[in-house]
Amino acid sequence: MPITGDMILTASKYLLIALSLLIMLRCIRSMLSSGYEAETWATARWGRESVPVTHWENLIGRARSADIRIDREGLERVQAVLTRRDDGRWMLFDVFSRGGVAVDGRAVGAEGAELAAGSVARLGGVNLRLQDLGAEKSGALEEKRSFAGKRVSPALTLFELTVFELLLLAQHLLTSPETQPIQISLGFAVLILLEWFCYYAMRLIGRSGFEVETIAFYLTGLGVSVTASAAPQDMFRQSLLILAAFVLFLLLGLWLRDLRRSEALRPFAALLALGLLALNVFTSDTLNGARSWLSIGGFSFQPSELVKVAYVYVGASTLEKLYRRGNLIVFIVFSAVCVGALALIGDFGSALVFFICFLVISFLRSGSIATVFLAVSGAAMAGFLAVSIKPYIARRFAVWGHVWEDVYGAGYQQTRALGAAAAGGLFGKGAGGGWLTDIVAADTDMVFAVLCEEEGIIIACCAVLAVLTLSFFAVRTARRARSAYYSIAACAAVTLLMAQMALNVFGSLDLLPFTGVTFPFVSRGGSSLLACWMLMAFIKGADTRRGGSFVVRPAAQLWSAAKPKAQKKGGRGA
Amino acid sequence: MKKITRRAFSVLLLALAIIFGMTVFVLRYADEGGDWALYFASANSGAGGELRDRHGVLLASFDATKYAFSDDAETRVACYHVTGDYWNRTGTGALGAYWDLMQEYSLLEGTNKKEPKALTLTVDAAVCRAAWNAIGYNRRGAAMMMNYKTGEVLCMVSLPSADPINGEAPVADTAFINRCLSASFPPGSVFKLVTAAAAIEDLGDVFSRSFSCEGEYTIGTVDIHCTGVHGEQTFEQALANSCNCAFAQIAVATGYNSLYSHVKAYGFLDRQELDGIGAIAGSYRTSYAGDPELAWSGIGQSTDLVTPYAMLRYVAAIANGGMLATPQLILSDEPVEQTRLVEASTADKLKEMMSYNVVSHYMPEIYFPGLSHVCAKTGTAELGDGTSHAWFVGFLDDPAHPYAFAVVIERAGSGLVAAAPVANRILRAAIASEG
Repeated sequence: MPITGDMILTASKYLLIALSLLIMLRCIRSMLSSGYEAETWATARWGRESVPVTHWENLIGRARSADIRIDREGLERVQAVLTRRDDGRWMLFDVFSRGGVAVDGRAVGAEGAELAAGSVARLGGVNLRLQDLGAEKSGALEEKRSFAGKRVSPALTLFELTVFELLLLAQHLLTSPETQPIQISLGFAVLILLEWFCYYAMRLIGRSGFEVETIAFYLTGLGVSVTASAAPQDMFRQSLLILAAFVLFLLLGLWLRDLRRSEALRPFAALLALGLLALNVFTSDTLNGARSWLSIGGFSFQPSELVKVAYVYVGASTLEKLYRRGNLIVFIVFSAVCVGALALIGDFGSALVFFICFLVISFLRSGSIATVFLAVSGAAMAGFLAVSIKPYIARRFAVWGHVWEDVYGAGYQQTRALGAAAAGGLFGKGAGGGWLTDIVAADTDMVFAVLCEEEGIIIACCAVLAVLTLSFFAVRTARRARSAYYSIAACAAVTLLMAQMALNVFGSLDLLPFTGVTFPFVSRGGSSLLACWMLMAFIKGADTRRGGSFVVRPAAQLWSAAKPKAQKKGGRGA
Repeated sequence: MKKITRRAFSVLLLALAIIFGMTVFVLRYADEGGDWALYFASANSGAGGELRDRHGVLLASFDATKYAFSDDAETRVACYHVTGDYWNRTGTGALGAYWDLMQEYSLLEGTNKKEPKALTLTVDAAVCRAAWNAIGYNRRGAAMMMNYKTGEVLCMVSLPSADPINGEAPVADTAFINRCLSASFPPGSVFKLVTAAAAIEDLGDVFSRSFSCEGEYTIGTVDIHCTGVHGEQTFEQALANSCNCAFAQIAVATGYNSLYSHVKAYGFLDRQELDGIGAIAGSYRTSYAGDPELAWSGIGQSTDLVTPYAMLRYVAAIANGGMLATPQLILSDEPVEQTRLVEASTADKLKEMMSYNVVSHYMPEIYFPGLSHVCAKTGTAELGDGTSHAWFVGFLDDPAHPYAFAVVIERAGSGLVAAAPVANRILRAAIASEG
């Protein structure tokens, strides 16, 4: 290697780390540094009191956790749910209240009744009126909300990411100039072009919140680098997959814009998930101990990855549905079937990921009320998992914590992952300069160690931090989501990502038993990449910052789309 | 909404768990990363390493693709148990044990090595060859020698041996066992040095006593037989005669507790280490089993087992006034650690007695021509089938050539006849090799 190349390689290592930290810091600052103002949709009035209505779904009652808290003697802790339809109409639902809820003197049931402007809702001896804000007022309020990406320029972050990826490419060309340089260069080029296309497309429709995409692209870029090291001949295929994943992300995001439509399709998504799993249980090939692969037309994919998306889609729920009897039972049965099917397939890792997601979703949906019941059903499912433990899984448990005692047997992968990870040191050997990628499944199951070896432990930790940042953002932005559906979906999505990452990283590092799940975005593997990008759409769905997300229609657009009747009435006031 | 989004914080429990896990990993990485990285160092650093003897003679070298050893077959085979081989078949080889020292690892840079790193050992290939030739092709045994001032081990040879370049070639039975470290033998009369130390310390008037030998000594119903009829002897004469009758009496008079505590204190019962390479422990009766057994154990029979390495440590300490210079296998400039193994006065008396052994009984002009100040003890450890292991342990009481040695040859008969010539050869080779 010429001296100049050597010097570039060394310098690029330090630069990569600096850029990586910078990108992370900018994303964290942009996403988490300060809360953002809520959207306001209407004003709820009773007596002399009034509160702004900041969600599409609001719990009314005396409880502190009620969104519209009416602290009057006659009211129950949780009495009604007030929901805004996409067309601007407001609906009121009675949620098992003893005293009942009435609109204009007519009793309201669980199926709800419209609370039009001028109507009076009577609940617990209180007369509640709703005043729509209207386009003008809402527009004025919207003006006061700060733009997403105002504090931290998304374009600059993306520029840094571009430099980061170009440096990765340079490292590949320096460390292994003979291996498919054109394919690797094209792979990075496609990724960078896609990033900027995405950025400009979003700007074109007035969106400036770009952190979620930046983080996803950052991780995808690391994935491209891993592919370039492990399977450069597959680079073209990987590029196609990234494009496909991005398209699916856009499509799902656009679909999620319409809440009613999204909700209506839940049973179909559930059927699709069950169908895929059934197909998997009965027909798929056995690979690496688990029958989790399905081959269709030369492409093999893991249905469980796509089922993840469907699972989140089905698991999330709007607020008024949460207060219907039996809604959780159906979900538990659905979850049990999913986990059971995965256990049957022998995909222990995915089953565990689903189970963790199930716990989170059901806690979000039910809270402490049904905890006892949940614990029971959870235990039953865990029992199912235990039953499903097969000899090869038992072996993985047996070697857990003792990998160095069986370096050429059951500890083969973990010891090599640890060895390679430590060999990289703080700065790594440079992209393409490692040896771990020669080992089977290094680019999926041991991908964290590949990152450690090639880019150094700091960048590997940044990859973990990236996923954690997404989760913190999701939890934060869930508070401002328009619907509980988006809140739950965003939280469920990041739970899946984190659970998967934890099993992948800690499994390969012998902190947990080894399970063959993927590291989100970074692991090479088509279906996983598609699923991860689609999960991003759920996070975008909860982001209601001004100009934050393409999944969220701007308020102004919604007002103009609302029914003239509703607007007229709203204008007149109550 | 509030109700649900409050619960959303449960998601962060998972994030916390991940942060905890990553912290554990990073701490472990900082602590054990070197071991992890170096375990697979051959795969990730192409530079490799080298093993050289104390004079720079190449013993072994390797890189990512191949292992190479000395061009001289005799050196390869004589040093086999020192170097080990690619397959790490001997278990005590420096290639396996010092793998990490020939690699470079830093927390900052991981494994980033450009040049092969040479590790210089304290052994002298010429002395090892001499030992190998002296023991000879068709005998089994071990010869070990160290500088008792510096702790440097110059010779560690075990026969039968193997050629490290050929993993396919048939080798003699037990060839992979390093008899210096990984085998223990009945010590026979060399063990009288330990019994003598116990007697000197716990049998106050031992030097003024006299011991009679009529060729046989009866304790209860058990006869202790002797190699000759030694008549009345002093303590010194009894050791020089290697008189079983006398030492049976001495062992019984000294008592089990004293003997056991000396055996233990001298490290015969511990797993000793040679610069990080483990040796096995010897054995001695763990409880008193009657005077006859005590008598037999005092003359190195009964259940006594010692490794040549433990014996070498003991005589090296005697040579050095009771202080053991910690044995070294890696040559270094750092001052060697000295620990007291034997009481100074005891060591001095034993040294005088071992010198008297040689002068009065071992015919130095025949067995050690050209060597002076040899102090030693023979051993002929009976195996009960008419054969015996030949032992010879001792040192040169000469500041110019401060060498201690332990030689054992399996089923070779008399210690003086079979083992002393080997000691003579390696001592002369070591002196000749001094630069």
